[in-house]
Amino acid sequence: MSEIDSLKAQLESLQSDALAAFSSAADLAGLQQLRVNYLGKKGALTEVLKGVGKLPPAERPVIGQFVNQTKQSLSTALDEAEAGLAVKAKIARIEAERVDVTLAGRSVSKGALHPVQQGLDEMTAIFSQMGFAVAEGPEIENEFHNFDALNIPPEHPARAMHDTFFVEEMSDEPMLLRTHTSPVQIRAMKQFLAESGEPPLAVVAPGRVYRCDYDVTHSPMFHQVEVFKVDRDVSMAHLKGVLKHFLSTYFEKDVSIRLRPHYFPFTEPSAEVDIGCVFCAGKGCRICKNSGWIEVLGSGMIHPNVLKSVGIDSEEFSGFAFGLGVERLVMLKRGIPDLRMFFENDVRFLRRMGS
Amino acid sequence: MKIPFSWLKEQVALTSTPAQIADDLVRLGHEVEGVELPRAGVSGVRVGQITSKAPHPDADKLSLLKVDIGEAAPLDIVCGASNMGEGDKIPVATIGTSLPNGLKIKKGKIRGETSCGMCCSETELGLADESAGLLILPADAPVGVEVGEFLQMEEAVFDLSITPNRGDCMNTRGIARDLAADANLPLMGVAPCTAEIDAAVSAPAVSVTAETDCPAYMARRIEGVKLADSPAWMQAGLIMAGMRPVNGIVDVLNYVMLYLGQPMHAFDADKLSGEINIRSAEDGEAFKALDGRELKLNAGDLVVADQGSVIALAGIMGSEDSGVSDGTVNIVLESAFFRPARVSETRRTYAMVSEASMRFERGVDPEMVATGMQQATKIITDLFGGVVGEITVCGNTSGINAGKQMHCSVSGIEKRLGITLPEEVDDVLRRMGFGILRHADKLEVVIPPFRHDVSIPEDMSEEYARVIGFDAIPEILPALATTAPAKPDRSIHDAVAGGFLQVVTYAFISEKEQRLFVPEDGCDIRLQNPISDAMSVMRRTAWAGLLNVAKHNLNRQQPGVSIAEQGRLYKNTEQGHDENNILAWLMSGEIEADQWHSSARSADFFDLKGAVEAWLAKRGLTGRFIADDSIQGLQAGQSAKILIGREEAGRIGKVDGDIAAAFDIDIPVFVADINLDVLHAGKKAKFSPLAEFPGVERDLVFLMEKAAFVRDAGADAIVQTVKKAGGKLLMDARVFDLYEGKGVAEGMVSVGVRFTLQDPARTLTQEDSDAASSAIIAAMDKRFGVSLRG
Repeated sequence: MSEIDSLKAQLESLQSDALAAFSSAADLAGLQQLRVNYLGKKGALTEVLKGVGKLPPAERPVIGQFVNQTKQSLSTALDEAEAGLAVKAKIARIEAERVDVTLAGRSVSKGALHPVQQGLDEMTAIFSQMGFAVAEGPEIENEFHNFDALNIPPEHPARAMHDTFFVEEMSDEPMLLRTHTSPVQIRAMKQFLAESGEPPLAVVAPGRVYRCDYDVTHSPMFHQVEVFKVDRDVSMAHLKGVLKHFLSTYFEKDVSIRLRPHYFPFTEPSAEVDIGCVFCAGKGCRICKNSGWIEVLGSGMIHPNVLKSVGIDSEEFSGFAFGLGVERLVMLKRGIPDLRMFFENDVRFLRRMGS
Repeated sequence: MKIPFSWLKEQVALTSTPAQIADDLVRLGHEVEGVELPRAGVSGVRVGQITSKAPHPDADKLSLLKVDIGEAAPLDIVCGASNMGEGDKIPVATIGTSLPNGLKIKKGKIRGETSCGMCCSETELGLADESAGLLILPADAPVGVEVGEFLQMEEAVFDLSITPNRGDCMNTRGIARDLAADANLPLMGVAPCTAEIDAAVSAPAVSVTAETDCPAYMARRIEGVKLADSPAWMQAGLIMAGMRPVNGIVDVLNYVMLYLGQPMHAFDADKLSGEINIRSAEDGEAFKALDGRELKLNAGDLVVADQGSVIALAGIMGSEDSGVSDGTVNIVLESAFFRPARVSETRRTYAMVSEASMRFERGVDPEMVATGMQQATKIITDLFGGVVGEITVCGNTSGINAGKQMHCSVSGIEKRLGITLPEEVDDVLRRMGFGILRHADKLEVVIPPFRHDVSIPEDMSEEYARVIGFDAIPEILPALATTAPAKPDRSIHDAVAGGFLQVVTYAFISEKEQRLFVPEDGCDIRLQNPISDAMSVMRRTAWAGLLNVAKHNLNRQQPGVSIAEQGRLYKNTEQGHDENNILAWLMSGEIEADQWHSSARSADFFDLKGAVEAWLAKRGLTGRFIADDSIQGLQAGQSAKILIGREEAGRIGKVDGDIAAAFDIDIPVFVADINLDVLHAGKKAKFSPLAEFPGVERDLVFLMEKAAFVRDAGADAIVQTVKKAGGKLLMDARVFDLYEGKGVAEGMVSVGVRFTLQDPARTLTQEDSDAASSAIIAAMDKRFGVSLRG
């Protein structure tokens, strides 16, 4: 065998050994070692190259080209083997990291607003958007703000209907827990007049109120929202317009309203307000006692004596007012069957009503 | 108030159905609570007569009755009532009957004795909301007949809720007047009548001293009355109108009242002594009322008195001794007008409501004082005989509430209602008794004396509105104002965002609960008329309410509760009543459940502290938590006050174990509160450039005496020291590790402090952090005498 043929044979055998070794390498480190063994400065290929010097100069380029081809193909094979191993390694890592996505997520403790609060927020927001300013007042009131200024003099039969809680008093002036949010009308009007001089004013006053009455359908503490507007030329038609807009927005549907003449000392005319039953759409059901209507609030045109009590000229200005029971509207909207659930605060109820 | 349909039809020739009339009444402003059809509910209830009554051998309160219902053999009935005797006629619900209250009558044994039916009260027949004992039927009720037939219960009964301004409608005639005017039908009214006077019967001597409170008083003697039960038709009517028959005279007077609206009273003439005087009571004067109550009257109460004693609290109730009873032969009838405010005040003083007082305090029709007297006289003499004397009249009814006029403008009313007033509506009001003259825009109105509630133009706007109908008023949304809405209070919302459930508890708690957290200092606000002791004092702490909610839920298998409440606390101060807005939290029990990734964890002090800190951070505030062993109700060593700046703004801590136990809670409970009124929200953070150069984090671990650490040094003090010593490069410092145990001597604790250095202008060097560390170590040594853990 000639020298050159022998070299060629060596290179071919080296290439086939190397390719076999590459394909059976287990990991990247092994491959790196093979790269050094075959292609490194002291590697197998270099060893073979040492033999090239013994060849006659005319043959050297032939074998040189052959060596380069071998080197090139080994290098490419190494790169491919490396890439293959990297993919394998990634697949192995992904498999190792596989999780059961149906396991429960780590819980973040979830709070919830009380349904009454949600109702208050919704209602106040509707009136705020209509330009009513939010006002508050004290819960421990005097008789002037709770009764007298609202045209309910002491001997008035309506006063007895209020089931008033009185507080034990050190001074002579009897004090009570406000029986409605209407005293805020008086306080807000007085404050407003002191600041701005004269109407228009439009106020929404949410708050807690108290009645000495405790049974299945009565709670001694509950929430009301008082709404009133005083301006020139305010009419009962405006009252109906605002009621319709409010009730339709709150119940998220076009509700029909019906006003029935009623009596409240602080309004004249006075009206009870019914809405078309939200459960049966007026067809008649248990909730509306087959009448198709549900009573939701009391309303009317502010009595001139009430305006007078705060110094507003009732010839020049008029106003409407209404007061609604928050719990009642929330019960109707959310289908809550029992008033007592609001104050029992069972966390299961609070969570369920939380959204 | 209940009105049988037939009574209305006697006054107006109504042709509509009861349901249509109910709608008309609602439109006119008379709330209809129901249209009852009493007969439908009592089919199978028959008139029975008790033929024998014997005690039940095994039960003191039961009787064994034999009741004849017109069949071959009497029924055996076991009965629990006590107001019946042999010979009485009573309603008997026979087997198979379903009563209005849902009770189905079955044959059964009661304590071993057979019972084949049930004897009924008014309540069981659906005729009244309450009743005492069985309904005893008139003696002439035919045995065996259906009770519904006997009581003429074919008809509908209107159950009305008359508003307090419409005293004129608390009777059949007033309601009929509105219906007749509305339907443009004639109102029948009552035929005038005058009794034949027997000169031998004297007119009662009457004087009125209190003329303001009693502007008109009439009295008349009727002698030789043969008192008997009122006739069946009258009893049936009274029962359906919701009243119980009493005796012949009283029944007639009640009938007249229900029909005409004039409350009247009858005295037994032979029990009176001397002149009748209507006057103010003397202070402390005794009065024994018909209902058995003995009162000490106040000066100013209006009374009817004879020369011996008070015989009636005027307009409210007669005395026990002067009333008509079985032996009564001669009577004095009273018909009067008492000033509404006077009756109202006295009625409230003694909490003594009667059918009469309800009408007097709302104002009766002055014209009916005389009419009532004449009608009652006629019916009494027709039914029970007797000879009639002249009426003694004191005062004058013609001036009462009379001649009231007002001027209003059509346009004024139209502006108020938002509709136009057609002229023909005036006719409806005229039929309701108003005098109305319209000249162009001017309205001259004469108000009838029975309308005590109408006096100003706005009242007329209501009259027009109700006769036109509120449905005619359009719905117009007024122009919207453009005031900027106030910033809403987000206090509770942020607490909820922190994982808490909002609760709402009562503002009143028990005195005992108050004392758990608030000392007795005379500043409690107590209710005069609480629902119960448990709700008798205005709360000065929200924690008691929260503990009750925790108790409720922990008792219902909840492993933990995290709740918050926003509300007010109330107390007396020198300046008056103080209402303080607060936010309160409670955390107890499991806050993380057993999970596949971690095991359950219960709340501790730092869970709640973290929640409060997060809540404060949301408003740009940082609280300092200062250990405070003196907070009532909290456990020493796990309680702190919360300072914002220098202001004490809140408290936090573990509820004392004994107190928790008082709420049946045997696990740790943590509470906090924040006084919202002293909080001034921090400013919204302004932008500052983010650091460009990396910071350096270093840890130092010190060895300290544990007692000194917990009691004196504390994490806050250590952090302060580190921050001060670290110089201006020090951005942040915190205690990140506490360790006791292996490698640390008994009674000592290893405290790891981690701090961050950063310079906005350059990368820090080893020298920078070494210098800071040395300064910190020196400062810690100086302040606490501690050195690095070796």
